[in-house]
Amino acid sequence: MKFYFIVFSALLSSSVFSKETSIIVLSKDDIAVANVVVALTPKVKKEYTAPEELAIMDQVDTQFLPHILIVQQDSRVIFPNSDSIKHHVYSFSTAKTFELQLYKDLRAEPLLFSNTGIVELGCNIHDWMLGYIFVADTPYFAKTDLHGKVILDVPEGEYVLKVWNPRFQEKEEVLALNMTVPKEGSMIVKLNNDLLPDLSDYEQSADEFSDYE
Amino acid sequence: MNKRVTPSFLFLVVLIKTLIRTKHMLGWMFFLSFTKTYAFEIEGVVQFNYVKSDELPAWFEQDTGILAYSENSVNLQQGLVKVSDSFTNGLSYSLVGNVYQLGSQNIGVSQAQVAFKPLSKDKIRWRARAGFFYPKMSLENVDTGWLSPFTYTQSAINSWVGEELRTAGLELTLYSPGRSRNSAFSWELHGSVYKGNDTLGTVISWRGFAMHDRQSLNNDKVPFAAYPSVVQEDRIFHPDYVEPFHELDGRFGFYLGAHLDYYRQSSFRYYYYDNQADPNVVNYERLYAWRTKFHSIALQHKFNKNTRLITQWMTGSSIMGKHFVYIDFDAWYLMLSHKYKSHRFSARFDLFEVNEDDIFPWDPNNSDGEALTLAWRYDLNMHWQVGLEQHFNQNSADIRATLGQNVSIDQQQSLAVLQYRW
Repeated sequence: MKFYFIVFSALLSSSVFSKETSIIVLSKDDIAVANVVVALTPKVKKEYTAPEELAIMDQVDTQFLPHILIVQQDSRVIFPNSDSIKHHVYSFSTAKTFELQLYKDLRAEPLLFSNTGIVELGCNIHDWMLGYIFVADTPYFAKTDLHGKVILDVPEGEYVLKVWNPRFQEKEEVLALNMTVPKEGSMIVKLNNDLLPDLSDYEQSADEFSDYE
Repeated sequence: MNKRVTPSFLFLVVLIKTLIRTKHMLGWMFFLSFTKTYAFEIEGVVQFNYVKSDELPAWFEQDTGILAYSENSVNLQQGLVKVSDSFTNGLSYSLVGNVYQLGSQNIGVSQAQVAFKPLSKDKIRWRARAGFFYPKMSLENVDTGWLSPFTYTQSAINSWVGEELRTAGLELTLYSPGRSRNSAFSWELHGSVYKGNDTLGTVISWRGFAMHDRQSLNNDKVPFAAYPSVVQEDRIFHPDYVEPFHELDGRFGFYLGAHLDYYRQSSFRYYYYDNQADPNVVNYERLYAWRTKFHSIALQHKFNKNTRLITQWMTGSSIMGKHFVYIDFDAWYLMLSHKYKSHRFSARFDLFEVNEDDIFPWDPNNSDGEALTLAWRYDLNMHWQVGLEQHFNQNSADIRATLGQNVSIDQQQSLAVLQYRW
């Protein structure tokens, strides 16, 4: 009985308050762009409780995994090291400046990301490593799939839609759009400028041997 | 595997006993790094082999063979420990201590360096290192402790580098990671000044190139056959060994290097090395300074994640005394390596040549050779590896005639190797 009540409540809440909202990101040449951060921020400012669970930015085969991590403001992010070598992760970004020595088999304390913005990560040992943490001021976010599309469940209302990817030449604010939910059909965001070069080949040619000292 | 560890009491006892016996300062630094702090990374590699050796004994036996082993036997091929750590200010250190069964120095240090690499978001950055280290010329020696993960018997070029070349000095590097510039190309420029590499060139002039994995240690001595033209008092009157890391003339040597990488798929490295030695300086042991300079070009291309091609070419010259010995040398190798699951197959072809143009016809220094090395290495798990290697070469050295030996010989060597790494 209790189970049915929970299911009924969930259905009710999603049908009444949340609307499935589709957003598609296209390049200047109308080609779908994958791995784009899409975030919907309510125009009426709300206080959200910080997520309890830790977000994970791993290091695998001397690459950051995921390449782009989206977290809600005030999230804690843990940096496990799945490689058998040490990493020295750092950021100079204003949203979060830090450095972290990551020894194999030693778990570093999670870091709190309390400022919104883009945090660019590097490793002082492996210069090709590059990763990003997008700290969002909303719980409504996702990354586009291979078709350049995300589907978000968000309550009805007025929103600011933000999209971001390191290959964009446009700043995040330039691409920001107003959006009303519910919306018929998909919201399409089209870039004005060409994408910066795709350097994902840095992720492809991992080597089991590091350079010697 | 890297770990923060607490060293075992037994290991420390063995280390202290060894240090008391050997009285090595670098060894004591190694020991102090254990006692002062336990916050470091420690890696190690131990290799045992069974070798089916060639009949011609090696230079270690003061004979003229160019392969390391002189009899069918079980041996400790490699034993090394690398201790390192890095700190938040960009400082790091690393030290490689080795144990060798072959050679005259059986325990010692092959590399010891302090490096500084400040955190930077600039497109062009800098770093520096000081100590006793290898220039990063080789794309073959990319395993822990400058070992090759491909074959056990290394190329002629890097066998020689391992036995006679080390930088005791300072290296400054300007570098630009491609990803910071939105580019597929990354580059590095290296410049170094150093001392203590004045006898470089001695062994390839007299013995010629050899093929092995024995790296000289900090206070080592590389023996060779007692060639009459070398050791007799009425001839050149030089000992039948060289101590590779001696400073004899007080001059600084230098090298310059440039790296260019396309993603992490293709690598190019060029180095110019000149030890700037005064070839007329001789010490009380009658060891000479040899003015040795060379160019080295190395290339690596990965066709995919599992298959790569590596090649290196070195060309240079060495002079000793008033043209007592003058040689031009050339060597190159081409290696194909393929990984299939936990198996790695590698095949390398080497060609090497030394040509003389000096004043003593009774000290013939021409030598040359070609070699094929085939290796299979299989990772049983992250710690244990087994491997087999078959090596063939044809080589000649005119100086063998002065010992009544055949000038040209064919050599073969088979290795079965058990490796443990941590």
